[in-house]
Amino acid sequence: MINRLATLFAWAMAIGAALFLLAPLIVIAAASFSPTPVFDLPVDGASLRWYTRIGQMDGFWPALSLSLQLAAFSTLLALVLGTLAAIAIAQGRLPGAEAIGTFLVSPLMMPGLVLGIALLQYFRMVGFNAAWSALLLAHLVVTLPYVARTMIAGLSRFDFTLVEAARTLGCTYPGAILKVMVPALAPSFLTAGLFSFLASFDNYPVSIFLTDVRTKTLPIKMLQYIEEAPDPTLAALSTCILAATVVLLIASDRLVGLHRMAGTGQ
Amino acid sequence: MSERDHLVVRQASKRYGATTVLDRVDLSIRRGELVTLLGPSGCGKTTLLRLIAGLALPDTGSVSIAGRDVTRVPPHKRNVGVVFQNYALFPHLSVAGNVAFGLNVRRRPKAEVRAAVEKALALVHLGHLAERPISALSGGQQQRVALARALAVEPDVLLFDEALSALDRKLREEMQGEMRRMLRDIDATAIFVTHDQDEALTMSDRVAVMNGGRIEQLAEPRLIYERPASLFTLNFVGLSTRIPGTVVSEDNGTVEVDTPVGRLVATGGFIPGSRVIVATRPEHLRPATGDEGNAVNGRVRSIVFQGSRSLVEVGAGGETLLAELPGQEAAHLAPDAEIRLGWPVRETFAFPAPELSTPELAA
Ligand SMILES: Nc1ncnc2c1ncn2[C@@H]1O[C@H](COP(=O)(O)OP(=O)(O)OP(=O)(O)O)[C@@H](O)[C@H]1O
Ligand SMILES: [Mg+2]
Repeated sequence: MINRLATLFAWAMAIGAALFLLAPLIVIAAASFSPTPVFDLPVDGASLRWYTRIGQMDGFWPALSLSLQLAAFSTLLALVLGTLAAIAIAQGRLPGAEAIGTFLVSPLMMPGLVLGIALLQYFRMVGFNAAWSALLLAHLVVTLPYVARTMIAGLSRFDFTLVEAARTLGCTYPGAILKVMVPALAPSFLTAGLFSFLASFDNYPVSIFLTDVRTKTLPIKMLQYIEEAPDPTLAALSTCILAATVVLLIASDRLVGLHRMAGTGQ
Repeated sequence: MSERDHLVVRQASKRYGATTVLDRVDLSIRRGELVTLLGPSGCGKTTLLRLIAGLALPDTGSVSIAGRDVTRVPPHKRNVGVVFQNYALFPHLSVAGNVAFGLNVRRRPKAEVRAAVEKALALVHLGHLAERPISALSGGQQQRVALARALAVEPDVLLFDEALSALDRKLREEMQGEMRRMLRDIDATAIFVTHDQDEALTMSDRVAVMNGGRIEQLAEPRLIYERPASLFTLNFVGLSTRIPGTVVSEDNGTVEVDTPVGRLVATGGFIPGSRVIVATRPEHLRPATGDEGNAVNGRVRSIVFQGSRSLVEVGAGGETLLAELPGQEAAHLAPDAEIRLGWPVRETFAFPAPELSTPELAA
């Protein structure tokens, strides 16, 4: 009896939490089809006019391009550096491997604002004022922990006797790494890349300190729009980003399975 | 190359830092022979296996397989099959993909690979699971896949590192018999590593008992049990009665020994005055009738019923005698009863006493 009550309660909480998390997204998506220039629910007739306006927003394309570039490059760099670091840590022969791992992941726990100010100060001090490169470095600081954390977890579960098995079956050492370790870690690579890309793409607090007039990332631009002209174009843009993310997640799920990515599978 | 020398390890030593893990090991195995390395944890079994597979290099000594010196040959050129303790199956490949791995690496034609995979899977009775992912197999099935994967490349030697220890007891016993039959059928040369003495005695043609980086005895299972060459082997394989004593006389391969339970006669050659351990296996002890070579009076301490037989512990002169008696002979015994046990001289061994236990003789 108590048990059933507890189960019911747990379900109710879970559904409530899901609704609470999803409701704003649903409202935004609905509002993007509003026929009127206020954030309205499209009760009398939907319209796609705000979607056609996205591309005409002032400075939208450069901002999108910049954000995509930053996300792609920082993710690529983070994947290479993070994986190498994770291998060194997981092999365990490094003194203080645990401490290094914790240090690598620590920016995750740091408020973005603090990180942003710190980086701004630092770049000023060393006289580094190329906005694009500064942003890339900053985004690397943001994304590296995601990659390092995922790869350390993935590698700590990786069984290095698989490499030995492959060698006794006729693989050279590099061949064994390529044929066995890389595919076994594919889910980790994908998860790490995905989180890293998204973390960079929607980063606001760190980027805000490092942009200049001509170099603005999409999230910053979006906030600027909403201050200047709050119309449902932004809702439409948000819905597009949301849809792209969902497509990305579904594709990854098809590829390796979300449960494996989240580390909840066996 | 003689028949005896399909796999030869000669004077192989291996050190990790200050510890000597293998100490001048010699091992020589015939084609088609199944040999077990038996020994306690940390005695160097896995290390010896890794030397043979090429996953570790010996500091000194040599390894040769099928007449070829492979001491410095990397693992991928040795043609050795290994079944790892945790199976080490590739999680991203199906059952068939795992079994085909070694053949694909060797770039064999597709049709040949398919035929070899089918053959190997049929041998381990897993033909119907070829397309399953590895994660959807039971422990016993994974074990068979690992075996099929190792067999598919037709290795010169098969190595098993505690390959059965992850299975539960019943399945393990089934697999022991089945694996022995399979390996016999294909005339495989194999080394099993185990610390389970029953597995060693049932599965192999010969057993190598290892201790502290050395092979103490390499012999048929029956001989290992009936004629242990050292106190270590006696202790490690099977149960025994062990009584310390001092040799008083030696005559033509038998010694008379003074012990806390009286004078005993044992086979062995020691000069009078030597400290020895006199030992025998429990099934040789019987309620004495008078014509045994050795007899001891004692008092029953405990009786452990084991179905058709009972294990009886008898205390005498501060020592413990262990007798395994058939059901009816043990039926009338009760704890604390007086009993006289006898056993033949030819089943009584004498081993040099370990030095640590006789500090009074050190001077
Ligand atoms: N790479 C290594 N570095 C340092 N010491 C090692 C290494 N490999 C093995 N050893 C040591 O060598 C000894 C023998 O190890 P080995 O794995 O061969 O034992 P084993 O007989 O297989 O034991 P078990 O039954 O527990 O598997 C152990 O004391 C172990 O700590
Ligand atoms: Mg071992």
